Amino acid sequence: MTRVVLVRFAWTAAILLGVSFIAFMLMRALPGDFAVAAAGTTSVAPEVLEAIRRDMGLDQPLISQYLLWLGNALSGDFGTSFVTKRPVLEELPPRFIVTVQLTAVAAVIAMVMGVATGLASARLRGRVDWVVRIYNGLILAVPNFVVGTLIVLLFGLYFPHIPLFNYTPFLADPIGNIGSLLLPAFALALAVSVTISENTRAAVLEVANQDFVMVARAKGLRPRTIVANYLVRNALTPVITVTGLQVASLLGGSILVETIFAIPGMGQYLFDSITSRDYPVIQAIVLLAAAVVVCVNMLVDIAYARADARVKI
Amino acid sequence: MSKKLSGVEELQLGDASPFVLSRRSLLRLSLAGGALLIGAPGSAFAAGEPKAGGTLTIGADADPIGLDPTTVTAFSSYDFTGLIYSGLLRWTADMKIEPDLAVSYEVEGGTTYVFKLREGVKFHNGQPFTAEDVKYTFDRILDPATASRLRAQYEIIKAVTVVDPLTVKFELTGPDAAFLNYLATNPDGAIVPKGLANIDTNPVGTGPFVFESYQPNQQFSLKANPDYYEDGLPYLSSVVFKFYKDQATITSALRSKAIDMTWLKDPRVAAQISKTSPDLASAPGQTSRTFPIWLNMKAAPLNDVRVRRALSLATDREACVQTVLGGSGKVGAMVPESHVGGYDGVSEFPYYKYDPAQAKQLLAEAGHPNGIDLGEYIVVAANPLDVACAQILQQQWQAAGITVKISAMETAPLLAKWSSGDWPTLLSVALSWSPDPDAIFARLKSDSAFGAGMGMADTALDAMISEARAELDPASRAARNLDIQKHVADNAYVLQIYQYPLRWELWWNQVQGYAPLAANTRLFVRTTWVDK
Repeated sequence: MTRVVLVRFAWTAAILLGVSFIAFMLMRALPGDFAVAAAGTTSVAPEVLEAIRRDMGLDQPLISQYLLWLGNALSGDFGTSFVTKRPVLEELPPRFIVTVQLTAVAAVIAMVMGVATGLASARLRGRVDWVVRIYNGLILAVPNFVVGTLIVLLFGLYFPHIPLFNYTPFLADPIGNIGSLLLPAFALALAVSVTISENTRAAVLEVANQDFVMVARAKGLRPRTIVANYLVRNALTPVITVTGLQVASLLGGSILVETIFAIPGMGQYLFDSITSRDYPVIQAIVLLAAAVVVCVNMLVDIAYARADARVKI
Repeated sequence: MSKKLSGVEELQLGDASPFVLSRRSLLRLSLAGGALLIGAPGSAFAAGEPKAGGTLTIGADADPIGLDPTTVTAFSSYDFTGLIYSGLLRWTADMKIEPDLAVSYEVEGGTTYVFKLREGVKFHNGQPFTAEDVKYTFDRILDPATASRLRAQYEIIKAVTVVDPLTVKFELTGPDAAFLNYLATNPDGAIVPKGLANIDTNPVGTGPFVFESYQPNQQFSLKANPDYYEDGLPYLSSVVFKFYKDQATITSALRSKAIDMTWLKDPRVAAQISKTSPDLASAPGQTSRTFPIWLNMKAAPLNDVRVRRALSLATDREACVQTVLGGSGKVGAMVPESHVGGYDGVSEFPYYKYDPAQAKQLLAEAGHPNGIDLGEYIVVAANPLDVACAQILQQQWQAAGITVKISAMETAPLLAKWSSGDWPTLLSVALSWSPDPDAIFARLKSDSAFGAGMGMADTALDAMISEARAELDPASRAARNLDIQKHVADNAYVLQIYQYPLRWELWWNQVQGYAPLAANTRLFVRTTWVDK
């Protein structure tokens, strides 16, 4: 077990290194750079652009730029944001916490919606099953930024008094914080809830055909007891796994949802940094997001192995 | 790394397969403009007794990139430098120049300017403002090590001398009509305190508002400057900018009164929103932006003036104003109307008449009897107005036998191409208001990097541009500027389609005493009060 975990960690380090390199090269492969993005459409002489590039070290060869960044990153220095001129490590934590809050609320919403619809379609069969499955198919086809934009437009037009855009920090007002995250989290959760719903349905159908449920039925237990104690408990293990694996898509979705709802999280920061070519910030966020996804996957695997004796890692 | 969905995979039944995890590609969002509404609503300025105190919340669409007026290059920074710093001169709401930190100035021989400075002005850090600060500011701009974008426009300055603490002398190498316009513009003429470092992140100026705090992407807070020299101003005790990157979001934030004022990029959307409530005041602002098509004249076919003229004749400019801008704009030329000698959008310019038949004839003369394919027409993908106009132009040109393929591109690479003169045939980047028309004309000079990139080689035009900048009499200068624009249209060096406000400003009517500027900086927040 210890050896396995160690191997896992070695893999994780390799993955993060690869991700940082690819992200670095991909961003540099995009045409245009920070100097041009900052200059905007105002007329700036080429020598001014050159001076900005020299200032930022963008005139060095790419590979030495990367190695410099890597060396600094390994010693815990993620550089300074080009735009705000502040250390990236100071900028990130508060935004990371906001994104964690948003994805947590979204995960809860997705779980509740997914499990409820999945259970309903598995238990009630017939018309309900059809309705749920068609709804799932439709919702999965609608990207979360479309849902988000529609929410923003509809609320802006018909319920202008609802304060959609007043993100409240948790420490200022915990209840208000959750409230201000509800709609964006809903936009983020919709697609994920469909995956959870389908998995719940499949798991419940699977468990329902197991012998121990037959026995429970034969013993004449009440259906409600069977659902609560036998079905849901046993069906939820895979569902939790799937939810864990969906963290990656929640993080990815947060980029546009946070941008649309003006939530000062990591996703919005990434969107902005890509637009303005703020390389140090992009590098740090991509690395952090990759680390989160890798760690969550690892935890899910380990937890699964602990929960189910048949699984070996 | 292996992803085991083992538990789930074993559970799959015939009709119960879970959906595969889907990866969504990132798409840039752009607000789709709503219905076409023609006509601009009038702006509402309610009169009343100014009230002191209160907070004004402004919805901003972009974060500043730096706050040092000497080194900023991004338009998004100007909104903030405009409230924190002041200059020797400033613009009035109707774009006239008036004194600000200077109380008066004298011109000697057209090349020497002596400014008398205001007494008792202090910087936000308590440091008194003197002629030393003025000299320091301009010496720093002119120092190549600073790499200021302003150096090029102030190169005409030979020396800045401190005469006494309240008198400063500028000596120019020649007469320059643009000089005062640059001084009056923020941030171009903003004065910074001598010897203070880090004003890029901790700005210190003499303006009506003091920098308080900034959380990127969230908000930027300013409070009133208690030592501001204008009596009783500013009325507001604080100004808060909140950032919304998405046009749909910014509109909804305004409707829900999360913000008191904002500006929108799409005039049709702005016209629509302003109709949603009688309490919304809106001001289309003055025409300050043009939509040019930059031609690569370094090679065939656009090095032939007949082909360029054909392109101009095949363009129905008025139709573009009506369809793309919903009528909220005018036909454009090189210089927008809000400038000295700007084009009024009505007078007849050479090859401005829509005449596809004559265009075809010119093409035939140039050796393209069966029409011509001009290849890629590059536009800014992030600007829906630009894309819409390009599509309409594509159809108009088709009628004259000119084929183009629209290629919508991300802003940063497009600007890189534009500034290096590296585009195949046609490229559009909107030109915004600049302090002086000369900044626009400078792009057409054959000895400028940009002009060379386009393939300009018109020495007569170069001379006309230099003479116009040296003409100090406003009326003669306006006439000269108009001549330059006619000359450009006659040779079709650049195709200008229309002119329109860069931003359309909207605010709830509890905001009073505010006026929008063609320069599109919110300088008049200093005279604004909130009646809540």
